Amino acid sequence: MLKLVFIAMSKKKYLNLLHQLAITQFKLKDQSAFLGFVWSFLNPLIMLVILFAMFRYRTGQSIEHYGIYLLIGLVQYTHFSNSTRRSMTVLYSMKQLTADAIFPKEVLVLSAVMADAIEFVFSMVVCVVIALVSGIALSWALLLLPFVWVLQFFLVSSVSLILSCLYVFARDLGHIYQAFLRLLIFITPIFYDSSFLGKGLGNYILFLNPLTHLINFSRTLIIDRNPLPLRSSMALLLMTAILLFCSFKLFKSYEPTFSEHL
Amino acid sequence: MSQRSASICNTIWAIKAIGVERKFARRRPHDTAFRALTHLFNGHNDSNAFFALKDINFKVAKGEKVAIVGDNGAGKTTLLKVVAGLYRPTAGEIRTTGEMILLRGAEIGMVDELSAAENLFLYSSIYGVDREKVKVNFQEIFEWAELEAFTGARLATLSSGMRARLAFSALRHFDAEIFLLDEAFSTVDMHFQRKYEKFFEEQKSSDKTFLIATHDMDFARTFCTKTLWLNKGRQMAFDATDEVLKDYMASNT
Repeated sequence: MLKLVFIAMSKKKYLNLLHQLAITQFKLKDQSAFLGFVWSFLNPLIMLVILFAMFRYRTGQSIEHYGIYLLIGLVQYTHFSNSTRRSMTVLYSMKQLTADAIFPKEVLVLSAVMADAIEFVFSMVVCVVIALVSGIALSWALLLLPFVWVLQFFLVSSVSLILSCLYVFARDLGHIYQAFLRLLIFITPIFYDSSFLGKGLGNYILFLNPLTHLINFSRTLIIDRNPLPLRSSMALLLMTAILLFCSFKLFKSYEPTFSEHL
Repeated sequence: MSQRSASICNTIWAIKAIGVERKFARRRPHDTAFRALTHLFNGHNDSNAFFALKDINFKVAKGEKVAIVGDNGAGKTTLLKVVAGLYRPTAGEIRTTGEMILLRGAEIGMVDELSAAENLFLYSSIYGVDREKVKVNFQEIFEWAELEAFTGARLATLSSGMRARLAFSALRHFDAEIFLLDEAFSTVDMHFQRKYEKFFEEQKSSDKTFLIATHDMDFARTFCTKTLWLNKGRQMAFDATDEVLKDYMASNT
């Protein structure tokens, strides 16, 4: 019993630290929160304009509300790539804390993920507002949107935990991951519909890419105004939870050696 | 001797080191994915490893203040990090009871781009103090550090001495039971030196345990009842401070 109380207390201490570090990273990212948000929205916006101009009459021809369709995909992809890229290096960029302070180091990674999550939620809300302005009717389905955010948060946290851990041992992982992210933009249905790749290998790759499902979920909720399919959403929740658990275990098993590798 | 061992039986040990050894491989700079993979499959090449610590045995009772002395490269910092759990010993065992903090230099955990006040909250949270407690002591911390005028200033605009003062002032409110200090606070003027001394003087009778790596022999003499002397990773002595320091000084002449 006493032990349980002790664990709860120490967890509270780390929650406080998580909160404090997340605020710090949020502040550090950009000097002002509002401007920072504008800048981070600018990137998907430029991509949106380019992709919209290029694919509107090609892959986008059969897709309703193609602009919003693109925007949702881009916002979710951009958040995934930016957040994992930033969190990957956090143990290294804050190496004084990693190497010389006594606390569970996943706190560092999760605080970086959280700092970006704040921005992500804002961006998604902006997506919804734009969708409403452009004539898509308001619906109850939007209330399920936070569920998609939780899934995205789980996914980003898992990938970040794995990458940040590996980055301690291999500094060139940054380049490798950058190349992967370039590839990812094409194997995620951002500017085309899932059916575009046909029934072959491409289809399997899309199916195995969790980002595909997350983006399609948001589109279902915002554009189609339908609730999420229960079975596949539960399956995805279970999968991301398992992934998070495994990446956490991996991280914890390497944690004792971080200090000597930095 | 019998009297002494009787008293030891009732002691609560804060830190116990039993045959602690720590080896390091001489690593090359620039870790790459390729090298990490070859290590994973071929195992580590142990041939060029060296001992940073070998056969370290000591016990620190709860509330005891212990100094670690030794020349540069003797293994003081490595030992502190092993005790802190940041390095795993390659052999032997470390046991600690109680919440620990490790302070290596005053500025670890401080961020140049944030204000002094924001830094205080961040810094304290790293060492386990929650926001509410910092809020309560906020005024007092800045007053003690004599930095009331700088709460809103960017940390980058503060001198290193001022930062050390802020860090030390915050440290007074850390409620860990074991303090591991590594030459932490040496960049301050005479006036603050007094204030520090006063703080350590007060701590002498507290039940907080201190393990302090230091080159300041006067400090070790006045504050620490026991001293651990390391030389090239070996334990030369662990005994009452006066005796150990006498030998240590003698070895250096």
